[in-house]
Amino acid sequence: MEKTQLAQEVKKKMIEFLNLSPLTPEEIVDDAPLFGEGLGLDSIDSLELIVMLKREYGIDIHDPKEGRKILVSVNTMVDYIETHRTV
Amino acid sequence: MGIISPIGASVEQNLMALRAGTCGISKGNFIQSKYSELLPFGEVKFSNESLEETLNAHEPGVTRTSLLTLHAFKDAVEDAGFSAGIIRSPDTAFIGADTVGGMCLTDEMYKDANLLSHGSAYLASYDFASVNMYIQSRFHLQGIVNTINTACSSSANAIMYGARLIQQGYATRAIVGGSDSLSKFTVNGFNSLNILSNEICKPFDEQRKGLNLGEGAAFLVLEKEEDVGSKKVYAELSGFCNKNDAYHPSSLSEVGEGPYLAMSGALKAASLSPSQIDFINAHGTGTENNDAVESAALLRVFEKVPAFASTKSNIGHTLGASGAIEAVYSVLNIVHQEMYPALHFQSPIPASSLIPNLSYERRKVQHVLSNSFGFGGNCTSLVFSKT
Amino acid sequence: MFYIHDIAAISPVHELFASSPENTNIISGNKLLAVEPVYAGIPPTVLRRMGKAVRMSVGAALHIIQKHPQLDGVIIGTANGGMEDSIKFMNQIVQYEEGLLTPGNFVQSTPNGLASQIAFMVKNKNYNNTHVHRGLSFENALLDVVMLLSEQPSASYLLGGADEISSYNYNIDWLAGWYKKEEVSAERLFNSSTNGTIAGEGAAMFLVNNTRTSATAKFTSLFTSHSTDEAEIQKKLEHFLEKHLPKGEQLDLVLSGENGDRRLLPFYEAMEATVGENAGLLRFKHLCGEYPTASSFALWLSCNILQTQTIPAVLEKRKARSTTFRNLLVYNSFQGHQHSFMLISAVE
Repeated sequence: MEKTQLAQEVKKKMIEFLNLSPLTPEEIVDDAPLFGEGLGLDSIDSLELIVMLKREYGIDIHDPKEGRKILVSVNTMVDYIETHRTV
Repeated sequence: MGIISPIGASVEQNLMALRAGTCGISKGNFIQSKYSELLPFGEVKFSNESLEETLNAHEPGVTRTSLLTLHAFKDAVEDAGFSAGIIRSPDTAFIGADTVGGMCLTDEMYKDANLLSHGSAYLASYDFASVNMYIQSRFHLQGIVNTINTACSSSANAIMYGARLIQQGYATRAIVGGSDSLSKFTVNGFNSLNILSNEICKPFDEQRKGLNLGEGAAFLVLEKEEDVGSKKVYAELSGFCNKNDAYHPSSLSEVGEGPYLAMSGALKAASLSPSQIDFINAHGTGTENNDAVESAALLRVFEKVPAFASTKSNIGHTLGASGAIEAVYSVLNIVHQEMYPALHFQSPIPASSLIPNLSYERRKVQHVLSNSFGFGGNCTSLVFSKT
Repeated sequence: MFYIHDIAAISPVHELFASSPENTNIISGNKLLAVEPVYAGIPPTVLRRMGKAVRMSVGAALHIIQKHPQLDGVIIGTANGGMEDSIKFMNQIVQYEEGLLTPGNFVQSTPNGLASQIAFMVKNKNYNNTHVHRGLSFENALLDVVMLLSEQPSASYLLGGADEISSYNYNIDWLAGWYKKEEVSAERLFNSSTNGTIAGEGAAMFLVNNTRTSATAKFTSLFTSHSTDEAEIQKKLEHFLEKHLPKGEQLDLVLSGENGDRRLLPFYEAMEATVGENAGLLRFKHLCGEYPTASSFALWLSCNILQTQTIPAVLEKRKARSTTFRNLLVYNSFQGHQHSFMLISAVE
């Protein structure tokens, strides 16, 4: 899958998992920070995103610290999914 | 007082276990969950069947939470010497708290809620009130009956509400406390938040990894000082305060605003200065967030932090029961003039350097502060004093 | 006992905060769903996590808090809080066989989320409590406030009652026989002679204190009871009126919690016999449906009636003899085992 296509898919799934609607994928900037500024997500969202990576891409993240490095922006998530996905 | 916990089914058994530094946390025997063998639990050591038998509780739809409640309630009113007539008198209030209710029957509730059954025996037993409604109907209670749920501070608020009913003349006596049982629901809930430890919990330890869930129930009988007469009195509930941290749904603010306000408010209500507190029964769940925040708040309230410990190292976090169980433990500190050792502690949190009381010690205990902080920022502190 | 000032409700009846309750309901499959407004005051990042009970509560509360930011506490009655989220989480547990689960539903499932979300929204660190005693949840919250205002006479509190229809909760109560098996319209509810009622939901919030000036209504007294015996409840009502109705004054209006369930009629008939022929008789459950904190909707309705001195015709079972209304009684029974009396009076 093309990177841009995967990014689009990840954003759609994020909106679904985190109840972000009426936000659209186009409104989420690929390199904007997910937490704090930018999307304004919090610690519960990061746990939800870890579940999303497991259910949708078969990726196991056990160490929350590792999670923090992956869940920086849509771009960092896409990079990690490309190299680690099992489904 | 009446109590059932992972370390005993009576006040006496709990006292012996606290003195001996007994830990009641181990792998689960009764809880129906994938995690029963994988995670440590503070489980009450009786099956539902044996509780039903000893309590003669064979009504349909009775849940484990209700059984634990009945056990502690019966012991409390017996200890107070109440007749059936006093128990059901319109000026006897009953205030209970729980956060699980009949959701301990996760699988039955799932089937009923999704219409995958024709209706189980538990249709009226799932809500929080069901537990206390069971006691109400079994003992024909006529006074004020209430159920409070403020998450982990629930039963501290039940104690406070009962005391206020007496102060304001809505009751002459109040039976107050709380209960909760282990459930697949809470185990998976706390697990999804990454705050369950796969080891036995270590409150206030630098290496703490989270909490262990526990279960139990405790009830205390409150009466006005002038009505006590020649009756046995364990201690005085001398102060209480309820505040909100107003920060986040599932974690406390770093500075511990809610805990700070609740503790200082309870001291003020008891007309005590911080230096008069001899012992603190800390909330101390063993999670990263709670213990760091509670330590910060303790350092804000107390110039010199008095001896403190968390009995969650003995029994785990019993959620809606914890405030009441720890109230009983605080009263035991006062009645027997002693402190019990905190378990599993190795090294202090660097930022606060606070070390809980680690040994059994006989000493003067005039005033004990007991903390209960919960999800939703609900923080309540109680003060118990020697009469 | 105390004065009610600002009031706000989100319910199946009306546009948010409209003073006339004479609009139409939305009913589908014996469920009266609340009409939710656009929640302009709640940031989208916060709103996305809220279940309906939390949304309705915060929405109604903000309407009051915007005018009265200085609150000395938030006290809520809710039997079930975020019930929908509880069972969504339960469904996850079963579907994923206790595997990796998303915590959002679990965090939202705790009933103290209503009072605590209100506190978070306005950073209110004061007294905060949640009463969950099924059909007497709101009444116990009320009693809490009565005590608070006696302890802190100069304080102001936000008092509320709220519950949501969760499809799952509806199923559980349906299995238990609390809702009608046949579909019934709201207009025909009181003509029904079968067991069960229709489900409802809503949130009603009140700003209360001890100040008489410019109050909407005065809350005079409250009584709660657990019983399944209508004769006993009747006796308690007689005693309640004798004790709390001011000497020389009469009861002008009665708001009855009658809900179309044949089994509960004896309680309401006993109440009607006690209050006599003079009082106007009003019913409200066809507007809000049945839910454990429906008495909070009744209090909201009472405040509207006493303040405007008008009675929407849709409520009337028997016209009042008097044309001015001073004393109003609300009698509500939840499932025939929990009962409450509330006496409310007009403030001239």
